[in-house]
Amino acid sequence: MDVVFITYDRSEKYLKSNFFKKNKNKNKQDQEITPDQMMKKNNRSKLTGKLDETIQIIKSLLGENDDFVIRHFHIFGHYSAAMVYLSHIVDHEVVNRDILKPLMNVPNHLVNKMINLTQLEDVLLNETLSHSKTHIENDIGKLISALLHGKTVIVIEKLDKAFHIDTHKVEKRAVTQPETEQVILGPREGYIESIVTNLALLRNRLPTADLKVKTMTIGRLTKTKVAICYLKGIANESLIKEVEKRLSQIDIDVLLDVGYLEQFIEDNHYSPFPQIQTTERPDKTVASLAEGRVAIIADGSPFALIAPVVFHQFYQTTEDYSSRFLMGSFMRMARVLALVFSLFFPGIYVSMISFNPELIPTEFAVAVAGGRAGVPYPAVVEVLLMEVSMEVLREATVRLPRQVGGALSIVGVLVIGQAAVEAGFASPITVVFIALTTIGSFATPAYTAAFALRILRFLIIILAGIFGLYGVVVGVIFIFNHMLSLKSFGVPFMSPMSPGNLQGIKDTGVRAPLWWMYKRPSFLHPTNEVRLGTSPKPFQKAQSVPSVEGNQLTQEEKNEPTP
Amino acid sequence: MNQLREITVIQTTCILISTIIGVGVLPLPLFGVKAADTGAPLVTFLAIMIAFLGLWVITKLGIRFPNQSIIQYSETIIGKWPARICNFLVIAFFLLLTGLGAREFGEVVVTAVLRETPIEVTVIVMLLMAAIPARNDINIFSYIHVFFLPVILSPGLIIVALSLKNANVLYLQPLWGHDHKVMILGILTIAALFQGTFIITILIPYMRRPKKAMKASLWAIGIAGTFYLLIVIAAVSVFGPEEIKQLLWPTLELARTTSWGRVLQRLDVIFLVVWVTAVFTTLYSSYLFMAFSISQFFHLRDHKMLSYFLLPLVFVIAMYPKNSLKMYEVIVLVGTFGLILTIIYPCVLLVMAILRKQEGHRTIENG
Repeated sequence: MDVVFITYDRSEKYLKSNFFKKNKNKNKQDQEITPDQMMKKNNRSKLTGKLDETIQIIKSLLGENDDFVIRHFHIFGHYSAAMVYLSHIVDHEVVNRDILKPLMNVPNHLVNKMINLTQLEDVLLNETLSHSKTHIENDIGKLISALLHGKTVIVIEKLDKAFHIDTHKVEKRAVTQPETEQVILGPREGYIESIVTNLALLRNRLPTADLKVKTMTIGRLTKTKVAICYLKGIANESLIKEVEKRLSQIDIDVLLDVGYLEQFIEDNHYSPFPQIQTTERPDKTVASLAEGRVAIIADGSPFALIAPVVFHQFYQTTEDYSSRFLMGSFMRMARVLALVFSLFFPGIYVSMISFNPELIPTEFAVAVAGGRAGVPYPAVVEVLLMEVSMEVLREATVRLPRQVGGALSIVGVLVIGQAAVEAGFASPITVVFIALTTIGSFATPAYTAAFALRILRFLIIILAGIFGLYGVVVGVIFIFNHMLSLKSFGVPFMSPMSPGNLQGIKDTGVRAPLWWMYKRPSFLHPTNEVRLGTSPKPFQKAQSVPSVEGNQLTQEEKNEPTP
Repeated sequence: MNQLREITVIQTTCILISTIIGVGVLPLPLFGVKAADTGAPLVTFLAIMIAFLGLWVITKLGIRFPNQSIIQYSETIIGKWPARICNFLVIAFFLLLTGLGAREFGEVVVTAVLRETPIEVTVIVMLLMAAIPARNDINIFSYIHVFFLPVILSPGLIIVALSLKNANVLYLQPLWGHDHKVMILGILTIAALFQGTFIITILIPYMRRPKKAMKASLWAIGIAGTFYLLIVIAAVSVFGPEEIKQLLWPTLELARTTSWGRVLQRLDVIFLVVWVTAVFTTLYSSYLFMAFSISQFFHLRDHKMLSYFLLPLVFVIAMYPKNSLKMYEVIVLVGTFGLILTIIYPCVLLVMAILRKQEGHRTIENG
């Protein structure tokens, strides 16, 4: 009776992949998913109206905790009652000022009036408790969960209902600059760990009734609040349903970060490429919502998930749009170049050295040969060695305390690189190429996508070591085939390149002027496509103020754009 | 159809072009010159016409039966068992075509780039490259073709453009050529290079507007034909017919002789490795056609598993010819006889369908 088994049906829905189904069912025979053991015992009991009994039940569940507080008092000096809360997560000032004080003192207009028990509930709710988040509940299970969420519960003798008032207070950090997605021109605010703040940041930027936030609770132990945000009338309805469906099938004990969600709802679990974007920036989230995407935010995580996503988004930043289009396009192309560097450079280098030296100009070939003279290994081994040590260095730099990290990266790159060349482990040109590759991989704005390229780089190096340039091309074809067959929530990963879409291509390699992109990306199938008003350009020459003839100076001044 | 009709006309065109342009481009000028010396461009042009005739017939058939592939409607037209025999032959022919295509490119790679690598390795890599994505559905098939099309066309066009400075117009005259006896055979050999267009018979049931398939066929044969013609003209005008007869892969030699200043001096290696893409798309098409047709032949639910089962079979076929000269004999033979299956068989089907006034069900066109 006590144990709630996950039925076979549910598990099947929850695990889409057949691969895991067998194992999971075997486990299910002897153990169920981590339960909330305390809660189950009193799951369904209602309040009886006996204060002592209720307090006893609550005490039996939470009494062992140090921060558990019961405060007995009399409402209006007449009805005996008890206030229960967990002192570490409530705001004491609110408890004292907004709850205890009004309950103990009879309000002025009620002095000398007799309030009977049936009226009490109404009087308390409507005339006494001056706190906006006050609720009435008669289910003990729900009261306990309210307590655990930082609410204060008031139980009154002879009343079979209890009040719970939100007095939750938890320390949170201030809104700071996003660490992983920095921009030069653009907003500086990033998400923090509190979902309330994050949703507030979103609402501030989108004061429209169309912004819908649906919340659900995921995680049997953590009971994490998860919010699905979208713009109604823009985002495709079936997309929203799909996101909700995939999220509702998740049944896990702890949900600590949106990354957990990502792994459950992505389309292809074995692909190196991320199929959902994570972002720390509210402005980026808003931009995505306005294009017809869906954002998922989870409590406790400073990241939002954005779905569906296409490959091009991984090298785009919000800055591309806020800066002028020439600048945005240029930066974007530089990033694409960096991406190509980080993926292919080592592979091409290896194949040129070992297979096709005729492609190297003669003067340079001499230098290459001279540099490699003392290196005992083939180029593949040399490059792989350097790449692996680069990965180790990079990982170490992330893990080390900040004060040490800076020192280590200097030591690592300068000293080890220099020493490796002098000791004859690597040729100087290899070091140059590896350095270019590593720098290139840092230029990819999306960390998860950069990671995919880091893995695939090794594949290309190995193929280049076996087949030379032919191997590189084979690797490229394999990678592109995989990317072209990927989908993110039904949207082909490589759109708008293939399947092609002329409107969409304006926002891929280059960033066309904003007034060229008057439609939302059609691969997202938005309900409403139009982005711009009737005037195609924000400012046209014809609209400038008529100039006075013969006065060149003022004419120039007047040509300044006017709003 | 359990799949949406999503393929557009542009996608169909791209698929056809990248299917046609394959490893056959490398010996193409040789085929032309063998047939009619300086008349090679004319031979190529006539071959394109024949290929277009074949494509026209299968497109017409496809438009007539917009919900079915050739495997399915042939059973309606000429009865179950005769159709099955013919379809079996078609599938077997594409099995040969795939194997030989992989072998041909393997041969090129081993000769020109990786001289010490066993040919088995390069062939199996090519086949794997086709077999793995052949597990995907038709939509992804079209995405892949569209994506790689620029990579296929651009190196050829660059080489043609760069080689024109060495061209000699005299090599192209007389236009009619000297020897007309073997011309027919040469035309058929070159027309056989276009046999990949048969893929359209399985594409039409997935097209958004099957009625517009003819437009795609026209554009595809126009672009791919022009490309072939340009390659032949460039190769013949640079080397001259007598020189080409000494070369096994004139197009590759063409790439080798072209250079672009001091920046790129050896274009052939780059040309070859980029050419891997063209070969891949061609193999991919014929591989998918095989897997797809077999699954329809046996009324299977999908073709995914077949893709790997076919791999050893295709590999054995690819390894059958003893050397590259024997291989070309087989290729010419198979290609020419294949024309019976890819042109005459559909012609018969079309005539029968018209005579018996058979038509497929109307489609519900979406989009």
